[in-house]
Amino acid sequence: MSSPEDIARLRQLKESEPLGNAWITWEQTRKQMEETALLLDDPDPTMRSMAADEITSLSNTLSDIIQNTFPSLLVPQSTTKQLSALLELKSGVGGSESSLFLSDMLRMYQRLANNASWKSSVLAKNDTEGGGIKDAIVEFKGEGAYDALRWESGVHRVQRVPATESSGRTHTSTVAIVVLPLAEETESHDEELFSMDDIKLEVMRSRGAGGQHVNKTESAVRLTHIPTGITVSMQDERSQHQNRRRAFQVLTSRLMDLKITREMEERRSTRRNLVRGADRSEKIRTYNYAQDRVTDHRIGLTMKNLTSVLEGDGIQLFIDAVSKHHDESVMLDLLEDKET
Amino acid sequence: MHTRLLALLSDALGPAQAANELRWMNRALDSRLSLNDMVARRVRGEPLQYILGTPSLQILLSLPAHYTSGTQPFGPLNLLVRPPVLIPRPETEHWVLRLADSFLPTATVPVSLLDLGTGSGCIPLLLCHLWPPGTVNAHGVDISPHALRLAQDNAELCGIPSRLGLTKNPQNTFTTSSANFLAKDFKDAALSAYPRFDIITSNPPYIPWKEFLELPPSVIDFEDPRALFGGPSGLEFYHAISRLISHKDILNPGAIVALEVGHDQASAVQALMHDTGCFLRTEIWLDPWGKQRTVIARM
Ligand SMILES: C[S@@+](CC[C@H](N)C(=O)[O-])C[C@H]1O[C@@H](n2cnc3c(N)ncnc32)[C@H](O)[C@@H]1O
Repeated sequence: MSSPEDIARLRQLKESEPLGNAWITWEQTRKQMEETALLLDDPDPTMRSMAADEITSLSNTLSDIIQNTFPSLLVPQSTTKQLSALLELKSGVGGSESSLFLSDMLRMYQRLANNASWKSSVLAKNDTEGGGIKDAIVEFKGEGAYDALRWESGVHRVQRVPATESSGRTHTSTVAIVVLPLAEETESHDEELFSMDDIKLEVMRSRGAGGQHVNKTESAVRLTHIPTGITVSMQDERSQHQNRRRAFQVLTSRLMDLKITREMEERRSTRRNLVRGADRSEKIRTYNYAQDRVTDHRIGLTMKNLTSVLEGDGIQLFIDAVSKHHDESVMLDLLEDKET
Repeated sequence: MHTRLLALLSDALGPAQAANELRWMNRALDSRLSLNDMVARRVRGEPLQYILGTPSLQILLSLPAHYTSGTQPFGPLNLLVRPPVLIPRPETEHWVLRLADSFLPTATVPVSLLDLGTGSGCIPLLLCHLWPPGTVNAHGVDISPHALRLAQDNAELCGIPSRLGLTKNPQNTFTTSSANFLAKDFKDAALSAYPRFDIITSNPPYIPWKEFLELPPSVIDFEDPRALFGGPSGLEFYHAISRLISHKDILNPGAIVALEVGHDQASAVQALMHDTGCFLRTEIWLDPWGKQRTVIARM
């Protein structure tokens, strides 16, 4: 009898088979190269030149494995590759300054989306009086949006002198980000994620007699997924129908996120060095205006030129670095597992 | 941000509603609609739906410029609305979506549908949009020329033709005609050219006299009283509908009648339908706010 753990382990081994094969090819090629290198000192000049030729060809093979085979082996492991993303931003400590920074961040991600040719649209947004944003949900549509953005989940910290601060004192405030996977919107929802019986749908305000008596727009809705207690409120659209659709979209994303996180946890038992992506209360990045730098605390990467990050170009470098780090740790863990 | 405008709107609508409406106005901004004008009209009590227009739709339909239209989402449709034609309500949207789901006509036996007091055309147009092509031929009647014109504009906007075109592709159709369905000879005068119906829908005027006097200004000052006033008891149109249904040549076997009703009229209207003796079953549907909103009668 095989236990569920065995099955998970087998599946994982199966998935890592192509990687193992590539590793073997790599090792063999490298050995061959070491052996051939000895011949470079051979007394026979023909032998020497043949060895030199072979070394050139072997090193081409090696760099091809590094540049193409290994990376391509990592990519197919992503089951979320084709997914679009929902990005939720919530202002944290720091009051109005946090709301102001949230609107800067929103603009940063919209520029990033523009560069990446994702279609972005704001699904919900609560403005504050001072021109900031209390919270927002943005949709980024396009292949790879989720995989690129998912490591942005976590607490982002800004250190700067608020425009409103006359004493010139630096404030620290935070914005919390959660990135959720967004599936193609289909007419019927994913049966695996929830059943309609588990959903409580409420309309927000009362309308008195309603119907012909009232022509005020009351379109706010709230969904509750009873088993998980997840609630989604939507009031940004003019019709209930639209708000309900959007609310279901957000709910689907949250449930899909739970599912992906759970699957990751299951696999994590055998992998050690993963970027801790699921812990969303963790402070992941600091934007320091006085020092004109941005630091990602997970990988210890600091970049000068904060403006370029907020303009959307620099943030791409962080995203690339974090996801590369993640890919590398996955690979390392797999290889270590194989050897033990 | 437009603090002054927000303050003006807040005074009229309360802060939460004001914030939402200002956002929607911002989205509807366009060369012919300034935020200042929109807020001024709203503060004067005009319904938001008449204000939030889309001039691009006007141009698309080559409507004369003085026909300024607003819009109202209705299910997946975005319909034109113009005073004094009644603005489609969310309660109506809700039961029509449910009706669309609970009944699926097929192309082999397309159904014929009659909508009494069609107004903007919202009920038949949404059903024509949601049901597969070639499954429904809908007909709407109204007494108001403004309503008929608007219903036709909306049909054009939604791409629902009035008759089958030259293409062989199956299509749903929507026609309109001017008629008074309170008239004693309505069936013979207005419907003689039509086959029997499989579905009758109606959101007839249902506000009784006492409540009519208490309607808010955004309703009474802008929407057609003839679209709202249901006679002293509020039930006058339901009596006319039950007379019509009792006419032996109006319904096909298996027909469905769906009637929107006022907040406290469901049982009275259900009894009226029951008393025609035409139906096997009647039921009452609730609206999203928990009010008994729709009476459904099936043969
Ligand atoms: C409450 S409105 C409903 C409009 C539309 N069906 C809707 O749901 O938004 C009632 C409609 O019935 C029309 N109407 C009123 N009296 C009528 C009559 N005697 N004969 C035909 N139509 C009438 C009005 O012009 C108005 O468009």
